[in-house]
Amino acid sequence: MLLNAPAMERLVDAFRQLPGIGRRSAERLALHILTAPAEEAAALGDAIAQARRRITTCSRCCDLTEGDPCAVCADPARDHSLICVVERPAGAIAIEKGRGFRGGYHVLHGALNPLEGIGPDELTVEHLLHRLDHESVEEVIIATNATAEGEATAHYLGKLITAKGVAVSRIAHGVPMGGGLEYADDATLSHALDGRIRL
Amino acid sequence: MRVTRLACKGFRCLKDLSFDPGPGVNILSGDNAQGKTSVLEALLFLVTARSHRTTKEGDLAAHGAHAFDISGAFERHGRPLAMEIHWRRGQKRFKVNGAVQDRVSDILGKVHVVFFSPEDVELVRGAGAVRRRFLDMELSQLSGRYLHALQQYRQVLRQRNELLKAPRPDESLLAIWEQQLARHGAIITAERRRFAETLRGLARDAYQRIARREDFEMRYAANIDADEPEAFLEALEANRARDIKRGASTRGPHRDELDFEIGGQPARNFGSQGQQRTAALALKLAELELVRQIGGEYPVLMLDDVLSELDARRSRQLAGALPAGVQCILTATDPGGGRSVLPVEHTAFVIEDGCLERK
Repeated sequence: MLLNAPAMERLVDAFRQLPGIGRRSAERLALHILTAPAEEAAALGDAIAQARRRITTCSRCCDLTEGDPCAVCADPARDHSLICVVERPAGAIAIEKGRGFRGGYHVLHGALNPLEGIGPDELTVEHLLHRLDHESVEEVIIATNATAEGEATAHYLGKLITAKGVAVSRIAHGVPMGGGLEYADDATLSHALDGRIRL
Repeated sequence: MRVTRLACKGFRCLKDLSFDPGPGVNILSGDNAQGKTSVLEALLFLVTARSHRTTKEGDLAAHGAHAFDISGAFERHGRPLAMEIHWRRGQKRFKVNGAVQDRVSDILGKVHVVFFSPEDVELVRGAGAVRRRFLDMELSQLSGRYLHALQQYRQVLRQRNELLKAPRPDESLLAIWEQQLARHGAIITAERRRFAETLRGLARDAYQRIARREDFEMRYAANIDADEPEAFLEALEANRARDIKRGASTRGPHRDELDFEIGGQPARNFGSQGQQRTAALALKLAELELVRQIGGEYPVLMLDDVLSELDARRSRQLAGALPAGVQCILTATDPGGGRSVLPVEHTAFVIEDGCLERK
């Protein structure tokens, strides 16, 4: 009987640390690993260890990468005078999937959040300013999330970047493309109306 | 808007309730602790998924039970509407016209009710927070823009207050959060002002209809009296040094007030019990009128134990102050079924030990 077995509990607890995994799912995953062929479990452990060892942060844009600098930073075909600032690697992936952006990125690894003890020093802000001093950057686009914390971070960076004499802009927020107005929520619609552009 | 049937199973002390209220005034009478208020609570829970008495939903199930069901048939703009709520050990399921709804927000606003209970006198007598909650509840239902601004404002305020707790707060970081406080604060202030302006006239009318003589006045006192973000920001900046000294955000809509006056005197400190209760009731009747103006029909009015605290004259005048065409359900402890004090045509029900019967 596995119930209360210490090694099983440790594995379940480890899974529960993962985002979106509750007790039930954690137990199911643990049982799957314990009943699967030994090689399968070993391969999973190996994949995790390898990924952690090989994937580091890019010394230029702070995004996660296998190999330094990362593929975007190393690509000469991209427009490195344009930097898009995002909170997390997931943000850079989202924009990259859109295929419309040909500049470089900068990953902050969070947003200003006093309640969680995150100030400018906990983010890669210093690193970004250093880049502005040493690379020929013409414009920074701030694509932090449309949350109170993301807005505050955008405002904070806006001031610092303007002081460096570099153009800075904020991505627009509004109605999703191809979406009917009736499906947009009230807050998005009122924000879209406030941020209207002249035709 | 009208309820044609309310039914419930396993709710509080009510025995398999089936209640068919009439179109006008309905009076539920009975001794204390027989289930009068629970009938109103069941209706309120069905249409708002919330109780006015408790936040612990488990308390709503009959003693020792883990489930309850409430269903209602309504007539909205002349068309039938059926709502159901099924509660099983903390899980709620909603149905509208037989179709399962995924989110609470899908059922809110389907049926509008205005509820008045004896505790609502706190609107007049209580702390400012009670009146701000009233403003927030009403405006959040009427304006999505307001609700968003309010949620954002609260979050930004928490963040700024956290910075203010530091031994030596960084002014440049405080300034960052003030930008957003100003943006959302200005929206909140402007919307509250507009809402209070509309409510003021309606509440004055309602108060006069119930009390006749006295003069009721209501005033919105914005803590930062600015509807534009720029002016709002100036006020915040001017106050920053004081906020740092106090370690908290001392100005903004979270300190707004709604002042009530009766006969030129602040109702909160100088009003009598009866005057304060009448003022609170007037506010609810104003809400009733406002919902009609916006939605095109009166909401269902629920008055819990309102007669016991009003003198005979005011009770009569309350009866006269109810607008024609509004469906009203009121509870009374009076053994006469409220008939002696409420001389209006009504349908009478008696409730005893959780059983409801039409008289």
